[in-house]
Amino acid sequence: MKKHHNNPDSCTACTVCIANCPVTAATRKFRGPKMVGPTLERMRLSQDDIEPSLEYCSNCKNCDMSCPSGVPISTLNMLARAKYFKNRKRSLRDWILSHGEKMAKLSAATPGMANFGMKMSRGILKKIGISDKAPLPAYASKSFIKLFKNLKQTSYPDKVVFYPGCFINYNDPQVGMDFVAVMQANKLEVIVEEGFVCCGSPLVVNGFLDEAEENAKQNVQILKKWTDKGYPVITCCTSCGLMLKQEYQELFHIEGVAEYAKQLYDADEFLLDLHDQGRLNTNFGTLNEKYMYHAPCHLRAQGMGLPGVELLALIPGLDVQDADAGCCGISGNYGFKDDKYDISMEIGSGLFKAIKDSGRDTVVSECGTCRLQIGHGANVKTLHPLTLVRKSYEAYHK
Amino acid sequence: MREYDIVVIGGGLAGLMAAAAATKRGKKVTLLSLGSGTLTIGGGIVDVMGYLEGGIPAATPSAGLLQVGDGHPYKKIGRPAIEESIRFFKEICEQEGYSYIGNLDKTQWIPTAAGTLKPTCLVPKTMDTTELKKADKVTVLGFDALKDFYPSLIAKNFKKIPAFAQKEYEVVMVDPKLSEGRDVTALDVARWLDTEEGLASCIEKMRNVIDSGSVVIIPPVLGTRPDYAVKEKLEKALGCHFVETASVPPSITGLRLRTMLVRYLKKNGVRIVEQAIVAKSIVEDGKCVAVITEGVDRERTYHAKSFILANGGFYGGGLLAEPGKVIEPIFNLPVEAPTDHELWANYSLFSSEAQPFAKLGLDVDEKMRPLDADGKVLLNNVFVAGRNLRGYDFSFEKSGNGVAIASGYQAAMSV
Amino acid sequence: MQKTTVVVIGGGATGVGILRDLCMRGVDAILLEQQDLAYGTSSRYHGLLHSGGRYAVKDAEAGKECIEENTILRKIGRHCVEQTEGFFARTHLDDEAFEGKWVEACAKVGIPTIPISVEEALRLEPNLSPKIKSVYRVPDAAIDGFRMVWQNVASARKYGGRVLTYTTVIGIEQSNNQVVGIKVRNTLTGEVSDIACDFIVSAAGSWAGEIAALAGINVNVQPDRGTLIAFNHRITSRIVNRLRPASDGDIFVPHGSITILGTTSASVNKPDDTVPNAKEVVELLNIGEALFEDIRSYRMLRAFAGTRPLYSADPNATGRGASRGFVTLDHAHDGLKGFVSVVGGKFTTYRLMAEKVTDLVCGYLNVKTPCRTAVENLVEDTSPALMAKARLYFPAYGAELAASRLGSEGLEKVIARIQEKPEKRQLLCECENVTMAEVEEAAADSTSYMISDVRRKTRMGMGTCQGAFCTFRSVGAVDANGLSWGKDTNVLFKEFLQGRWKGIRPILWGNVMREMELTRGIYEGTLNINGAIDNEGI
Repeated sequence: MKKHHNNPDSCTACTVCIANCPVTAATRKFRGPKMVGPTLERMRLSQDDIEPSLEYCSNCKNCDMSCPSGVPISTLNMLARAKYFKNRKRSLRDWILSHGEKMAKLSAATPGMANFGMKMSRGILKKIGISDKAPLPAYASKSFIKLFKNLKQTSYPDKVVFYPGCFINYNDPQVGMDFVAVMQANKLEVIVEEGFVCCGSPLVVNGFLDEAEENAKQNVQILKKWTDKGYPVITCCTSCGLMLKQEYQELFHIEGVAEYAKQLYDADEFLLDLHDQGRLNTNFGTLNEKYMYHAPCHLRAQGMGLPGVELLALIPGLDVQDADAGCCGISGNYGFKDDKYDISMEIGSGLFKAIKDSGRDTVVSECGTCRLQIGHGANVKTLHPLTLVRKSYEAYHK
Repeated sequence: MREYDIVVIGGGLAGLMAAAAATKRGKKVTLLSLGSGTLTIGGGIVDVMGYLEGGIPAATPSAGLLQVGDGHPYKKIGRPAIEESIRFFKEICEQEGYSYIGNLDKTQWIPTAAGTLKPTCLVPKTMDTTELKKADKVTVLGFDALKDFYPSLIAKNFKKIPAFAQKEYEVVMVDPKLSEGRDVTALDVARWLDTEEGLASCIEKMRNVIDSGSVVIIPPVLGTRPDYAVKEKLEKALGCHFVETASVPPSITGLRLRTMLVRYLKKNGVRIVEQAIVAKSIVEDGKCVAVITEGVDRERTYHAKSFILANGGFYGGGLLAEPGKVIEPIFNLPVEAPTDHELWANYSLFSSEAQPFAKLGLDVDEKMRPLDADGKVLLNNVFVAGRNLRGYDFSFEKSGNGVAIASGYQAAMSV
Repeated sequence: MQKTTVVVIGGGATGVGILRDLCMRGVDAILLEQQDLAYGTSSRYHGLLHSGGRYAVKDAEAGKECIEENTILRKIGRHCVEQTEGFFARTHLDDEAFEGKWVEACAKVGIPTIPISVEEALRLEPNLSPKIKSVYRVPDAAIDGFRMVWQNVASARKYGGRVLTYTTVIGIEQSNNQVVGIKVRNTLTGEVSDIACDFIVSAAGSWAGEIAALAGINVNVQPDRGTLIAFNHRITSRIVNRLRPASDGDIFVPHGSITILGTTSASVNKPDDTVPNAKEVVELLNIGEALFEDIRSYRMLRAFAGTRPLYSADPNATGRGASRGFVTLDHAHDGLKGFVSVVGGKFTTYRLMAEKVTDLVCGYLNVKTPCRTAVENLVEDTSPALMAKARLYFPAYGAELAASRLGSEGLEKVIARIQEKPEKRQLLCECENVTMAEVEEAAADSTSYMISDVRRKTRMGMGTCQGAFCTFRSVGAVDANGLSWGKDTNVLFKEFLQGRWKGIRPILWGNVMREMELTRGIYEGTLNINGAIDNEGI
């Protein structure tokens, strides 16, 4: 099956994507991935019109995953959205949600104030279309980059480059710090390159394709520079990972993506590969703890299985159960939108129920916004798998 | 190195059954899937053998099994293994609370949305025709705006079927009030019935149009989950018998069956890798050492002691058709096909003959290992199952899911 | 017995053009078609409204006629013409010397050609092969054969024209060497009847020889089969001609959602020898690769074939060697008055052919009214108000399509059906955006007798899935409305799917094979429409 072939030709209209689309299941306003994607793509090539329900696609990629024909359905949707917005005005809401990095930089000077301000302004946000119930992330008092600069690493000959992404950098830097600790425990030195910018995922879903391409060009250049030198690049955010390795190739024509993608890793998979090579530090301390696990859609879409589950299975005593209940509903910033919030919660309801039924109070998941949504919807604590790996290493030395 | 006992390639019914049978034997299994298989398209009804060459109906599925030609997968698998596989399938269904009815010694003629009957072997309880056959009066119930179901067409056509001609038919409609938003498929109605409010509202509406004690033919809408909760609640509340028809995609019965089987596999420790595009293999001394997936980022290698190739036929991508030739892309196994493309297909789409192209596929031995043109085993630890097998036309024979179950099971048992 | 002044034989472009012209000049006329309208060659070609560039070098007269008619049809037929413009592109395989000759010849007959850089051409049409050497823009356009025929009929009906489809001619009645009537048989019912008339015009295209033979007259029409491929999407938004002497496989024409590649040329014995084969398709792909490198990765929908009605006074001339000009044969010279055959020609000049024939007939009938077919539009424009209303009822990308298919009147009727039952806005054919209401409207037309007739009027079943889903729905919807023409629904299913199969069988590989597994899985596997227990046969 030919990849990155963004035309509708492989679709057989079989309807499997409709049966597997979480948004379709949650609302009848969405005409479904097949119709909005490949079917109307044929029309888009000859007519300038817009399918209003296109806005309901959350780009979660469950359609692509269920498709027996390898059609990049969600990408067709994103391209159609971009085409539509090419000459049209976007809402302030969409601009804000797409430009998390800019927003974060604006408030970087006074993060405490920014969070305070945000709490105060939920009413204002609601007015522009951001749900006042949605689990908007708070800014961390210090960004990952700042924390990392103050961290003293042990130097090793083997080095890896870390792509933190906006969420880890500005909202959840502890995951980044855990990552560095785990790499150090494996005698690897972490390089963080400050030139990296937002991967562009939030821009793409809101139709800011041109800006996303600008970001992509910058990231590609840096990624290629490091991988050309033989350094692997690692992400802890599955949506960033998917964007950098797959969506860049589907959406843009930028040289070099296919080359660096060979050395772009998800952190969990990277560690499992080390394990396969007999190089993983397996001095895991026992953790007699029970967790639920949620597989982010953007991880499942990467064709590597669930490396987090396999990795955590190496830790003695640890009991991690895969919730296996599908999409959490958040899809980046989709669930933050006032008109999508209820849909997002409806999508996640099966997962929330499975978590509640399990009686476990903490959920492990790679994706930052999935963790936000799960914390919000199932009222539980959430962790990145690497936090447990670090904990286990530390337990070994206790 | 992570090594598994078995890597199953393909997440359709054959692959799922192979994985299930392998785990039952205590094997450590990885299942590589691309897309979610064809169950949600083709349906959860288990056809075994409906029609023989010439379009003659088989007296029973098991009688049909005995009458197939030498090249047919059933001939390779053999009757005992087929019987075991069916038993095993029914066991899983039973265990998971979504039991199937039927056996190899009886053809079940079930109603279809085209107003025909189709011969099959195992069906979910939602398609039990026991009461339908006995009934003098039958209600055909449609849903307003559901564009994939035409109850009057069914009623009219049943009148032409000798066994059903004496019955009286009444067509009634229920309005699920789903006309806002996208076009309505059976999936929308089934999801409506999945919810408590939807079910309650449907019961109220049905009460107005059907009498207690009726036998009611409906589209496949009795819930999307692999259980009988919707059916039982409806029947209890209304005192009726509901019979779902076989219908067009998306298939609700297939969706239920797939959900149930995937759940079963995960419970039994099968590692499932989605979006796994298996592109090639590493073969050494007549044995496969590993298969390699082609991700958008890089290749990934999956090592195992044995491999089950269940990645479908032309539809699933297990076989690629080109003018005058067929390619098996992972192991480059030979597929005999006429080089003159004109010989691939009959001039009539529907006739009393199977379509030649539908029978193209891989030749195997009784253990499901691939053979070359001289009948020599090509790979000792690779076992083939499902639609990529040579010698059967599932549409014509009505044998699709039966071959999938039997060959998947046999492949796993031969490992 | 029905009576009329003129009987026109043949429901293709020429026939309907003559019907329209006669009726507009006040002559009473009936048109007979052996199958459905546009069933023959008028829908079995690439749908190119020639600029004339293709003929300029070899046949300046034909080139000139093309550019003149092209200009007229863009205006009067704007609802069935897509003003795509065209490219003539010379590939690395083509003779450079021909290019200069071609430019000169076009200039001579008034066909504007604008050279553009290869770079610019690739920017406009990114799928074009980067290996092409030079490109010219010409005023080609795409024309929908089905719609053109329908809209001519719609116009003729307004002037009193009558149309009988599924009506085949079995005899020409004469008295004293003068035509007095015609004997016909309804091919669906077998019923035979007579129509009294003063004049017969045979515009039967490839069948013209057979019609003339009924009167014992010899007309040498050599059917020449051209096979074409329809692709699933618009791989080019402009027509692309290969800049070389006219040959096989050198024209790509975008039509709405699809692209057509044509054609081959092979003499055949019978005018209805329209079953394409895999060999022709493979040859077309091999040739087409020079213009579109990735042609093999584009999904085909079907292959189809039509027969060109090549006429020559010389019985040995065949294929592209025969003239594409048209000839009007007044059979008074053969000893039978009141009988005219029009042969040869091409779609682009159908109106001109009709005008010439009608002039001749009117001369005999002493009708002095001048021809107005070049100035009066085929159908009226849909008003902005009606379009705005349509957008309320049709889904995205649906209103414009429906309007261009239906015209104002049809559009109003379909809207009325949706207003009455809102769920009829649902799409029976999702691939081609055809609503349940439109299918019902087309099924209710007096010229519809089976689902294929509905298809030709609506485009249902002509998209990606080739009937995999819409066959079931359209039979269901037609039947539910009591419009199933007294036929068993299994017969309707099979008729339609067998028609689709004819074009699929020669391209049965790749994604087409996959789709066929699905289609058979649905109709044969799941719905068992082929089951012995209810085997009706077709």
